[in-house]
Amino acid sequence: MMTEAILNGRLPPPVRRSDGVIEPFDKERIVKSLVKETQLVKVLYNLPPMSEEDARKIAEEVEEDIKNMKLRFLSGPLIRELVSVKLLEHGFDKYRNVYTRVGMPLYDVYSIDHSEGYEAKENANLQPNPETFHKKKADFLSKESYLLMMPPRIADAHLRGDIHIHDLEYWGTRPFCQDHDLRYFFFYGLMPDGTGTHTSVAGPAKHAEVAILHAAKVLGAAQTNFAGGQGFFNFTVFMAPYLMGLDDKKIHQLAQMFLYEMTQLYVARGGQPVFSSIQIEVGVPKVWQDAPVVSHGKVWRDLTYGNLEDRVHAFANALLDEYLKGDAMGKMFNFPKPEVVQRRRYWTDSNFEDVMLKAAQLSAKYGSTYYDNVVPAYRGGEDGVSCFQCCAYAFAEDGSSEDFKRKINFEDGAHFSMGGMQVITLNLPRIAYRSGGDESRLYEILKETMDIAKDALLLKHKIMVQQFEKGLIPFASQRPKGAPPAVDIENLTHTIGFVGMNELVEHMTGYELHEDPSAQKLALKVLIEMDRIRKGYSEETGLKFSIARTPAESCAQRFAVADMIHYPKYAKEYVKGDLERAMSLYGETKDVPIYYTNGAHVNVAAKVPLYERLAIEQRFFPILKGGDIFHVWLGEANPDPEALLKLNKKLALESWIGYWSHTKDITVCRSCGFVGGGLNESCPMCRSQDIRVYSRITGYYQDVASWNAAKKQELKDRYRIRLSA
Amino acid sequence: MTKKMVYAGEIVPLSLSDYLGEPACVIFFSGCNFDCGYCQNWRLKKGSEEHLTDVEKIKKAISENKLVTACKVTGGEPLLQLDALLEIGRFAKSIGLKFGIDTNGSLPDALADILPLLDLVSIDIKAELDEESYRAVTGLTSPPVSAVIKSLEIAMRSDAYVELRMVVIPGYNDKLSTVRSISKILRGMGYEEKASEGKACFNLIEFVPENAFDEDFRRIRNPSASLLRDLALASGLKNARITHRGVGILKPVD
Repeated sequence: MMTEAILNGRLPPPVRRSDGVIEPFDKERIVKSLVKETQLVKVLYNLPPMSEEDARKIAEEVEEDIKNMKLRFLSGPLIRELVSVKLLEHGFDKYRNVYTRVGMPLYDVYSIDHSEGYEAKENANLQPNPETFHKKKADFLSKESYLLMMPPRIADAHLRGDIHIHDLEYWGTRPFCQDHDLRYFFFYGLMPDGTGTHTSVAGPAKHAEVAILHAAKVLGAAQTNFAGGQGFFNFTVFMAPYLMGLDDKKIHQLAQMFLYEMTQLYVARGGQPVFSSIQIEVGVPKVWQDAPVVSHGKVWRDLTYGNLEDRVHAFANALLDEYLKGDAMGKMFNFPKPEVVQRRRYWTDSNFEDVMLKAAQLSAKYGSTYYDNVVPAYRGGEDGVSCFQCCAYAFAEDGSSEDFKRKINFEDGAHFSMGGMQVITLNLPRIAYRSGGDESRLYEILKETMDIAKDALLLKHKIMVQQFEKGLIPFASQRPKGAPPAVDIENLTHTIGFVGMNELVEHMTGYELHEDPSAQKLALKVLIEMDRIRKGYSEETGLKFSIARTPAESCAQRFAVADMIHYPKYAKEYVKGDLERAMSLYGETKDVPIYYTNGAHVNVAAKVPLYERLAIEQRFFPILKGGDIFHVWLGEANPDPEALLKLNKKLALESWIGYWSHTKDITVCRSCGFVGGGLNESCPMCRSQDIRVYSRITGYYQDVASWNAAKKQELKDRYRIRLSA
Repeated sequence: MTKKMVYAGEIVPLSLSDYLGEPACVIFFSGCNFDCGYCQNWRLKKGSEEHLTDVEKIKKAISENKLVTACKVTGGEPLLQLDALLEIGRFAKSIGLKFGIDTNGSLPDALADILPLLDLVSIDIKAELDEESYRAVTGLTSPPVSAVIKSLEIAMRSDAYVELRMVVIPGYNDKLSTVRSISKILRGMGYEEKASEGKACFNLIEFVPENAFDEDFRRIRNPSASLLRDLALASGLKNARITHRGVGILKPVD
């Protein structure tokens, strides 16, 4: 009887609810849920929620529709989508935004579980494993939700590809990255969950092994609160007090322990190692020379870091020795990224030559050294504190800031907390396309686009401060024994990144960066304008804003693809890579081999000598205080470490480059264990095809097999410094 | 003024593996009097019209390059174009760069002329220093072994750093007895004394079959790093070193 009534359209079928109950259809449930859930538009967009009257009207119409459909089966999700459609029919777009379900097609869930499709390669650091599959599904849901929750103006700009909101899956829950001050944990001890309720609480380390383990666990615990990289600035200096009285062998053992901990704690978001970096000082920087040592739970009255310079030097040596050895298979340690600080003193005092040579040897062997050069004046010289984070974003505090001295002396737990709140990247080529080639129009559109980025960053700031104050970012907001919070949330940097300066100037001037001085001049002009706008934001809000080149692991590809959709006439002319192959693949996948040039870099395929590329790119560094990197793609399998050392010295002392690395392509054979230079198709020793090839993707080393198609294409296109004749 | 032209097929603005211990600008002269089957630069074996380059252009390329501390001419056989070589050498020295060449050692008189300008001379030792062994590698019916020996002698007596390079090709020069015989000759020329002053080294280099000129050579397997190490140790020479993709540059004897 009932079935008949349903099929005749007199009764809606019973509803399978998503919580596992089957019950008769009741339109009052729709009314109630609409009234309740549209309260969110008040919170998110500051608009009035739906009235009960409107809600009832919608519910009645939906009921009528359902009856007419003569369905045998009805589910909660299905009703919700019918209501969403009805809301759109009535022009209630905002209500629909908050009422809709988020989720993904079953097919995509299946693909993720089987490691197929585009999402499989968005981030090369994610290996396919059960944790990763879980993360990807959660990411998908989160991304969709946050796009609905933010003002449509911002969400649309992201979806259209005017801007890219990085780490969107963590938009509402995590700030971006952090370089921690180890002294904090050596003074207060370790509380991995930030509250001490779910984890045990450790007092301050009293022994070297414990100090090393605490350091590793700080990065692991912090990773659960942040979207991006975790690191320690001044790592070798702050570790030094624990190394007093230890012999070299022991110090090497500790260094090795740390590298293994950081590459084997396979626990970060979705089963990956912590994305980490450590700043390696060879000696004690001037600002720390007279600062009291903080360790073993106390501030030492009669011991300064300056007194421990030989320990710092020994630890730097030990770390580099262990990096050079590699793991038990002879593979490189790709994390924590070693950031070897370059100071004039480290090059002029022959005492430090050993570490500088080992850094060069490490570059020659694995390419893994990063050089953090504080010699150029714009880096703040010897009077400030600064660091380059994992993705080559830079953070600094100059010596004139009001709390600087207190932080140096760790007064009442005052300490440094440098890091990023959020990165938003601009699609510069599109700004050029939209300007119609008119320079003044270009600056107007640049400002409009940056304003959207600024609004997004301010929104992120607001959400993060709320979360922080509610204790929902607990590792960051921890306050052991009434200490200041571990992370200074208000002090995080809001970064506006960019992709495709090369293509912007190519469109405006007809020349790529390396082709003509007019192109370089325009790039510089655009950067200066961006910096001027940025300064305005900082003054207006009192918050830190900076301009940076974006590592753009996936967004260099995403922008190129978005422009092929929205601006095909121009994009066809300017995107880099293999356009023909991209076009043939496009119907099937978004993972296609086209890209824009990162940041303000010269086209990776440009056949210009390194010194010319240096001359062009170094001029951008002083403006890009938010971070930039100079890549040296080594073409040779066996670079001479001593030659590399001399090149480093020139880069450190005679250029404006603030951060560089040498990238060597590495082949690892899984059959015979060979590890050596070159992008090989089979093992040069045993001819096995079972090999893995590693190279630096944007700011870190990873298995090339896991790269997206655009980055693989870029790897092919890279013009290396030595052509094999 | 007529332009001075030279057969030079390629300029590598920055190399980290051609000049010992220095980032260098490398100029590839084309044209060679040997015909080695293992040659990696065989595209430069003949000086063709399209390689003809104005010497002034080369000088300009060298002087613009602020990242290098040295300049090296390789080839081909650089000593076949001595005039241009001298001019480039004098120019490089005048702007404060170190200057070096690679040579197969077959032109001792030309070598003697350029030696006063050289900070580094890298001389190939193709195989055991006898006609039969040299014939197999160089493809010449009467290889100029005595000229090579003479080149080694005058280089050893000069002030230049002498790098002796042997690309190790399995089946041609990979026997322990080969390096022992070579090392005996080198000792007789005063190698050990020069090496103790830090002015000479013996470099054993991995043969990379993929890049070889001759198809037969392309079928040979590359030597292992441990074979190179054994050979370096067997030579008993000071400053013996090996260059291999698996280990980079190593000095197993030190």
